[in-house]
Amino acid sequence: MSKGEFAIIGTGEVPCGQYPERTEFEIAYEVARLAIKDAGIDKNEIGAVLSAQHIMGSEYNTEAVFGRLPEAIGAKGCKITCMTSSGGASSFSIRKTAEGILHSGETDTVLVIHAQRFSQFTMNEMARYFAVAGSDEEWDVPYGMTYNSLAAMITQGYLAATGTTIEQVAAVSVACRKWACLQPNAMYNKKEITVEKVLSSRMVAWPLTSLMCNVLADGGSAYIMTTAEKARKVCKKPAYILADASEYSHRGITTAKVKDLESLGTFLTPIAMKAYERAGLGPKEMSIFEMYGSYPVVQLILLDSIGICEPGKSGKLVASGATSPGGKYPTTTNGEALSFGHTGTGVGFGLFVEGVRQLQGKAGKAQVPNARFLIENTGGGAFMDCHFTILGNEIPA
Amino acid sequence: MGIKELLNLSDEDVKKPMPKPSKWSRPFWENTKQGKLTLKRCKDCGHIDQPPYLYCTNCMSENSEWIEASGKGKLKAYAINVYMVPFPFWDDMPYVVAMVELAEGVTMISNIVECDHDKLKNGMDLEVVFDDVSPEFTLPKWRPVKR
Ligand SMILES: [Zn+2]
Repeated sequence: MSKGEFAIIGTGEVPCGQYPERTEFEIAYEVARLAIKDAGIDKNEIGAVLSAQHIMGSEYNTEAVFGRLPEAIGAKGCKITCMTSSGGASSFSIRKTAEGILHSGETDTVLVIHAQRFSQFTMNEMARYFAVAGSDEEWDVPYGMTYNSLAAMITQGYLAATGTTIEQVAAVSVACRKWACLQPNAMYNKKEITVEKVLSSRMVAWPLTSLMCNVLADGGSAYIMTTAEKARKVCKKPAYILADASEYSHRGITTAKVKDLESLGTFLTPIAMKAYERAGLGPKEMSIFEMYGSYPVVQLILLDSIGICEPGKSGKLVASGATSPGGKYPTTTNGEALSFGHTGTGVGFGLFVEGVRQLQGKAGKAQVPNARFLIENTGGGAFMDCHFTILGNEIPA
Repeated sequence: MGIKELLNLSDEDVKKPMPKPSKWSRPFWENTKQGKLTLKRCKDCGHIDQPPYLYCTNCMSENSEWIEASGKGKLKAYAINVYMVPFPFWDDMPYVVAMVELAEGVTMISNIVECDHDKLKNGMDLEVVFDDVSPEFTLPKWRPVKR
């Protein structure tokens, strides 16, 4: 991929939360409509319709791979449709699929869709799924391991190794909530929270309290991706994809490439630096940092790795308010899984779409003034991989 | 009252999940039943795979042996589950889930048992104990070494 070869020209999103009456099909059709409208293109210009997997299974997955979406949207010019999944990293792998299709020349316009409805499942079904999803069925699950306990272990190890305090961990939840309060589609956008409130919320997996854990929710988003050439013709302010860098580590945390929790940054930092280098930009040029943490500690480890603070010091940075609205390092400007809501494979999509909105100047109350470039990441599994992407509303020389 | 009675759950709802061994991991579970913690080591390059796989993940050799581990390890990190766990583990709360680094260099997820939760410390020495969780399965768990 050469720098700025592809661009996003429009996005769509529905409110995130508990909406049991709103099916995943309705979400998919609606976000597609909104993205097409936002991009200002004719639906028949779309040559490929890609969808992300609905997790915990759904008729939606079968229907999507049997070609339901282009038909329902009325994308009469569609030539290719498929579903791409790599769990939490799906927003990245699906975009790579879109790039490949655009690169082939078969079409110059791709529609990418994510939809999820968790509210169709019972609490126990979800608890069971998320015990197994993050953990190894043979080696972890028999010990009562859960996704929350995985994040709790990483938090405990990170705090012990770096001297970061639990108050600083709580500050991540506080900052995410502040951003969510500026987002009309966020699940929790009514009231800000304090460090004290986060710490005094119910203990779930020590040292994590419930307000340090994400909440599963229904939601979805979509975007239209084109070649940069077309983007310049049809869109006033496209968001160009400037560079990516990726790395895979493991299935289970016990076989992570980096063994010590205090040095997880040594896995992430080279990926981020490679992405910066490929974009010809550095952390100083970034207006926004869209970090997919899903748990506060992961956001801290990511912030440690992207060149804005010394490793192990991100907790202090977050507690200072630097990552909050109005701060020097606007981070996860939609409030992310912690406050926007965890929509399965959609957390990465939500952050990506929010980043695009910011660069297009369409982020409303959350708008970071003069946003030009941003760094975004995603990753899936039990922190199995990491992908950093640099986006910009201009292509640097 | 347990969670089963409290929520009127079925036996199936509270049944503990057991390992589902693969062809290449079955000896591990057969050995824990005999009170032995064993690891799959490559006979060609000496690499230990935990979890084990079909062939050595270092050199792809199929030539391997099961070696008995020392049963010594160190606590790397831990969490104490106190809420929102699957029903089969509800009545066990609070319980410790931990990363344990074995003397042989590999790391496992396990429970830390026979311990005071307030006295857990990363880096502390642990030793293996065997818990017969069902007639078919014995899980290796860990406890602090008494000084
Ligand atoms: Zn080998």
